[in-house]
Amino acid sequence: MIDRFQNWLPRMVLAPSFFLVLIFVYGFILYTGYLSMTDSKMLPSYNWVGFANYEKLFRLRHWNTAITNLAIFGILYIGISSAIGLLLAILLDQKIRAEGFIRPIYLYPMALSFIVTGTAWKWFLDPGIGLENTMHQWGWASFHFNWIKDRNYAIYTVVIAAVWQSSGFVMAMFLAGLRGVDNEIIKAAQIDGATGFRIYRKIIIPMMRPVFLSAFVVLAHLAIKAYDLVVALTGGGPGRATELPATFMYSYTFTRNQMGVGASSAIIMLIMIFSIIVPYVYSELRAGGKR
Amino acid sequence: MSGATQDNALKGSGATRIIIYTVLILFMIFYLLPLYVMLTNSLKPLEEIRGGDMLALPKNWTIEPWRAAWSYAQIGVQPTGLKPYFINSIFMVVPAVLISTSLGALNGYVLTKWSFRGSDLVFGLLLLACFIPFQIVLIPMARILGILGLAGTTSGLVLVHTIYGLGFTTLFFRNYYAAFPTELVRAAQIDGAGFFQIFWRILAPSSAPIAVVTIIWQFTNVWNDFLFGVSFADFDSIPMTVALNNLVNSSTGVKEYNVHFAGAILAALPTLIVYIVSGRYFVRGLMAGAVKG
Amino acid sequence: MARLKIENLYKAYGATKVLKGIDLEIEDGGFLVLVGPSGCGKSTLLNCIAGLEDVTSGDVIIGERSVTELHPSKRDIAMVFQSYALYPNMTVEKNISFGLEIRGMTKPDRIKAIEEVADMLQIRELLKRKPSQLSGGQRQRVAMGRALVRNPQVFLFDEPLSNLDAKLRVDMRTEIKRLHKRMGTTIVYVTHDQIEALTLATRIAVMKDGIVQQFGTPDQIYNDPVNMFVADFMGSPAMNLLPGKVVKKADGLMLSLDGHDGVMLLPVPLTDDLQARVGKRVIFGIRPEAFTDPQGADRESKQVEKRDCFVEVVEPAGSDTFAVVKLGGKSAVARLRADAHIVAETVTGLAFNMGKAVFFDPDSGERIK
Repeated sequence: MIDRFQNWLPRMVLAPSFFLVLIFVYGFILYTGYLSMTDSKMLPSYNWVGFANYEKLFRLRHWNTAITNLAIFGILYIGISSAIGLLLAILLDQKIRAEGFIRPIYLYPMALSFIVTGTAWKWFLDPGIGLENTMHQWGWASFHFNWIKDRNYAIYTVVIAAVWQSSGFVMAMFLAGLRGVDNEIIKAAQIDGATGFRIYRKIIIPMMRPVFLSAFVVLAHLAIKAYDLVVALTGGGPGRATELPATFMYSYTFTRNQMGVGASSAIIMLIMIFSIIVPYVYSELRAGGKR
Repeated sequence: MSGATQDNALKGSGATRIIIYTVLILFMIFYLLPLYVMLTNSLKPLEEIRGGDMLALPKNWTIEPWRAAWSYAQIGVQPTGLKPYFINSIFMVVPAVLISTSLGALNGYVLTKWSFRGSDLVFGLLLLACFIPFQIVLIPMARILGILGLAGTTSGLVLVHTIYGLGFTTLFFRNYYAAFPTELVRAAQIDGAGFFQIFWRILAPSSAPIAVVTIIWQFTNVWNDFLFGVSFADFDSIPMTVALNNLVNSSTGVKEYNVHFAGAILAALPTLIVYIVSGRYFVRGLMAGAVKG
Repeated sequence: MARLKIENLYKAYGATKVLKGIDLEIEDGGFLVLVGPSGCGKSTLLNCIAGLEDVTSGDVIIGERSVTELHPSKRDIAMVFQSYALYPNMTVEKNISFGLEIRGMTKPDRIKAIEEVADMLQIRELLKRKPSQLSGGQRQRVAMGRALVRNPQVFLFDEPLSNLDAKLRVDMRTEIKRLHKRMGTTIVYVTHDQIEALTLATRIAVMKDGIVQQFGTPDQIYNDPVNMFVADFMGSPAMNLLPGKVVKKADGLMLSLDGHDGVMLLPVPLTDDLQARVGKRVIFGIRPEAFTDPQGADRESKQVEKRDCFVEVVEPAGSDTFAVVKLGGKSAVARLRADAHIVAETVTGLAFNMGKAVFFDPDSGERIK
């Protein structure tokens, strides 16, 4: 009797988490998927309309702005964060005496809320009071930097703030990758006559492909989810110039009372993230095997 | 980032070293500047900010903005300062972190030491749940919280954060316990210890490092969350991040930048302190979250 | 103390069969060694005896009672693990008494039991230390102490010496044998080291691919192997297994081998099985110590045959000298006295003790008696 109880105990312990996730994640996904096929407005409705919301979604100018912005933001954010992260990692790998002091400074923004980051940068980039004003005070009268107020450039300020927040983290990932490269391979390369940056370019960086992949996955998933930063930095504006899918979903669902369209935009976000994450997790689990 | 003695260093002249250090220092300035600006300007009177140089140290030092931000600044419609929201956040974070970490530890224990047919599938579902865009659960969650009578309450937020933190806490503990020798569990079984006795007496005493990593990770995520807070909280439960956003983006009245900065630092303070005190564990958590399997 | 019996035991993980019908029995106070290459199922079998793995079918009986359905802690066994499995957060004392505490023994009784075991294993001064402060040999002793203190019906050892260095391993081997003598408890011991098996066991089960190949006394296993696998696995250096042919000559049956200058003939016993193989290929098995220099050969054996062999390599090994000889198209090893006069790349007379020779079927690998 007791033995049987002991056999079932592990399942019973895992069961609450299993059911919570089954309902609150996968059940909710199905529910949202269902809502996206209904004519729900302010409240959920169960009138089936098929893919009408999706058709409507892709005709909406705001959604197309959001998707275009996500593409711009995603590419620049991932590209610049990776470039800065790699550069700093390589530089920090040069036997820098103060590494223990410098590294935490590069990384601390990751501990902050995007709301705090947004608040700081919003003001810093404000032409009336921040950088531009300060430069004028310093006597550089022609200095001009008002991207945050400019419809065409505001999305780039989101990139700046996001890069500020995450590039240190990418640096830490790359640094761990660099330190993980087998020392003997580097010695062999040195004996073969390779020097300096050629060792990095030809030997080390190609060996860090898994780190690039991890960094890409993490950053891409952060980019698609990006919400708080835009809210705090630009509020989606000026106008709706910095709309992203995440802000679009929120405003259509909760302020514009177009729940069906909001739900369909959430489904599109999920598809975007899963198309990156699922293959990655699958390959990691397979490679990791059963430990 | 263990301090293994690696020698990837470029052999370079003094000039190369100077360039390297210059770049490193420029980036240090880049990362520190916003914090410096917030801090100095939170200690200036408003006129000084409007009229002046944001990089300069205050001419007239004042802590009034901090007092305002903490206890009487207008947030939404009420002049309460951030204090009640700070307390809301504490009441939300502490239970959410403790519950999700405990469940994660037990899940990790089962998944590695008592795995059964189908347990890998459970893990896969938990793992995938780490990455969903939370927009996908907002609509049904709002309804469920209403049905449960938890809409707008701190308990509701605790529930939400616990559920959506489970994936990561389980992942952390699972990976840690996977490396924990199974022979110890078997030895304890032969010694007659049961399921929970083995967990408490054998695994738990060795779990301090991963518990710290997990708690820090969860604490940072829950404290910094905005989306759930803004979607599901009422006045009694609004967390710090949402309150800060309300403070900064309230459209009425004069923009009191110095108060905003003080508020922003107050909102950042708990996670910053955790980072400063135990940055090593914080980084380890980030890495563990990034490299799965 | 009790006898241990395993009846028709099967173990499968899904479609993979790991144990395929194991039948073993060890008498009360016996020392059973399970030996075999890695993946042969020996550790799985031990875990099944311990109850750490469920069996697919079959029965495990300790004393007179079937324990197949019982939890490990209810089987009255104790186990020593390969990694020692000492609880890292507990002192040596706690490690030893943990099982007693779980079973609800009172503190004074526990202290008494700990002291008894500590004296027996001479680990009294280690009692307050943590496992991380112990050397490999000390950890090994503590692990044994944890098992001994429970005074179980059966001790299970899972490759307990494989993490020790060579010298310590020999010392601990002796120690285990001494403890067994003193306690008289039934022991089941898993190892991949055939010397451990031969020195410790009262009964050996040689396993391969989830099947017991041979179950017998060390003497039977060593001198009377049932197939080529057992012959090859037990003994170091391994038994020479040389392809030859049975031929009929005027003075009886002969084994014909390829020697260094043509065919070498050795007399073989006139058994029915060998007679039936006249003209056919067989594998001739002879242990290195039965293939030696004429002065070193067993004087009591009447079947010593001297033949000229071509010595390729000489390997002095201190207590012995090994000579590698080309025979039957293979390299055969002869074990000579340390001071035997032998020179590489010369033809030397060597003695075959045919009383120790064994023969196998080259296709099935089974013994030909």
